[in-house]
Amino acid sequence: MTGLRPWLLRRLLLGAGQTVAVVLLVFALTEALPGDAAVALAGDQPDPARIAALRETMHLDRPAAERLVDWAAGLAHGDLGSSLVSGRPVSSYLADGFGPTLLLATLTLLLLVPLAGGLGVLAARHEGRLVDRLISAVTLGVYAVPEFALGVLLVTVVALRLEWLPPTAVGHGDDLTAHPAVLVLPVLVLLSRPVCSLARLVRAGMIDALAAPHIAHARRYGIPGARLRYAHALPNALAPAAQQLARTVDWLLCGVIVVEALFVIPGLGTVLMNAVAERDVPVLQGLAVVFAVTGVVLNLAADTVIYRCTPRAGVAA
Amino acid sequence: MRRRRWACALIVLAVPLLLALLGPLFAGEPGPRGASFTTGGGHGAGTDFVGRDVWRQVLLGGRPVVLAALAATALAYAVALPLGLCGALTHRRWLDELLTRPLDVLLAVPSLLLVLLVAAVVRPGAAGIALLVALVNIPDAARAVRAAAAEAAARPVVEALRMQGESWARTALGCVGRAALRTLAADAGVRLTGVLYLVATASFLGVGAAPDAADWAVMVDRNRTGMFVQPWAVALPALLIVALTMGTNLLFDAALAGRTPRPAPGRERPPAPEPPPADATYPAPGPNEKDEP
Repeated sequence: MTGLRPWLLRRLLLGAGQTVAVVLLVFALTEALPGDAAVALAGDQPDPARIAALRETMHLDRPAAERLVDWAAGLAHGDLGSSLVSGRPVSSYLADGFGPTLLLATLTLLLLVPLAGGLGVLAARHEGRLVDRLISAVTLGVYAVPEFALGVLLVTVVALRLEWLPPTAVGHGDDLTAHPAVLVLPVLVLLSRPVCSLARLVRAGMIDALAAPHIAHARRYGIPGARLRYAHALPNALAPAAQQLARTVDWLLCGVIVVEALFVIPGLGTVLMNAVAERDVPVLQGLAVVFAVTGVVLNLAADTVIYRCTPRAGVAA
Repeated sequence: MRRRRWACALIVLAVPLLLALLGPLFAGEPGPRGASFTTGGGHGAGTDFVGRDVWRQVLLGGRPVVLAALAATALAYAVALPLGLCGALTHRRWLDELLTRPLDVLLAVPSLLLVLLVAAVVRPGAAGIALLVALVNIPDAARAVRAAAAEAAARPVVEALRMQGESWARTALGCVGRAALRTLAADAGVRLTGVLYLVATASFLGVGAAPDAADWAVMVDRNRTGMFVQPWAVALPALLIVALTMGTNLLFDAALAGRTPRPAPGRERPPAPEPPPADATYPAPGPNEKDEP
């Protein structure tokens, strides 16, 4: 495994660069927009007193660079500022929404990898036959469907017509683990897109990998089928799926926002949408940084895992 | 087999697309408002959350989604094409890095998050959402253009054109652009489905469209409160969005299957005998040896 360390170093540098860029971008998008941020934020109620108050709390009279340095220094210490609406610290908003979102994300990721891998390998084993055609058609179709449309239809059929599962998480408070039935539909909807895209890529990579010379050679040596598939072919099949992993992380973060809105789960996505509705800039900034940094870290982790699987495939760094 | 896939994709796509494009012609004048969330009573599909006829809203609501998605895709490519071509064709490495590295960084930010951030501060209209979604898609599109063009730019014919002293535009558009066209068409299909997804999801989350707009995604969101008594006001637009996105994806897949010389990941393999697949465990060949037959 020579070359892992220099590669890791370069990849870490890229990750650090991305984190810095994300912080700058979030600040630029929310505060350094052309025009007066306070007027834009007052929005529907352009009352001079409110605009003055906004300018006061956001320190808009100071130059943007100075505010950026202050904010970034606060971020480095874990201080995200406080809400414009309630005055509560942003970190308390994050703490409130963290539990349900983490639960959803963990459940989805735990199910995603074995499900996508299993479906992909199953389709590749039966290439061209009914099982493969069925899996390919369904994954291709569902892959493009927005979560909210799929979710609403599932709720209409499963929850309202058949009454098998509760339609939303309303009335269960923060303690979702005590009511696992509430989580079935959200996790299912959250899984729909990433499972489809990953399964398709694993299938394609697996078909290529099974046709490779080293697999034919291993087969001649009499290595049993399951070991051949999972120990020798699958790691190579994961390389093309790696490029898609970045997108998958993106989809999961977007999906969480939609699913929480759809099933009324009090997680980070709900906090984010409330902040958007109330134009609560500090909360928005804090959440955006948390979401984006999570994306950067997950991408980094995925790239590292893939690099270990197929070192010569050379994931871009 | 291929014909069947075409037919399947066209059937799925035809209903929502025709409704979206021709629906507004048949919508007619708005009738009197009835009670909210009723079924029947002169309204084929019932009434919505403010008592409007659901069927009329469905007829009107497809056009904004489809138009915004098409405009955003076109706009993203209008910026990504020159960016990607410049990056692929330049001999100055720093220029290539300068053009592509910032985009790599942008890729790290979840696309919906960017849209929401901007939308919270400026409240964009329908045109603003198309612009935003296009912006979010530029990094990925530019990357795809650059990759496709870089492969074409490494061919001997491009060197020959350069030595003949052909103009940059002729080399870039006439030769490299044309050679990369097929890959780009495949990418455009993927991009369009992604853009449709983002436009619809943003509308569902209440960004871009007015809260009472005739828009399928807005209808799904606003009529959710009455789902127990009037499921059609939600199910009808949701079904149409599902059919629209699914159909677009199936159509592009059917159109590209069997045409690409080497199947892109996840696509059906062509029936013709193909060169042995590149083995992932061997180092990839250099760019110059890659596309020699």
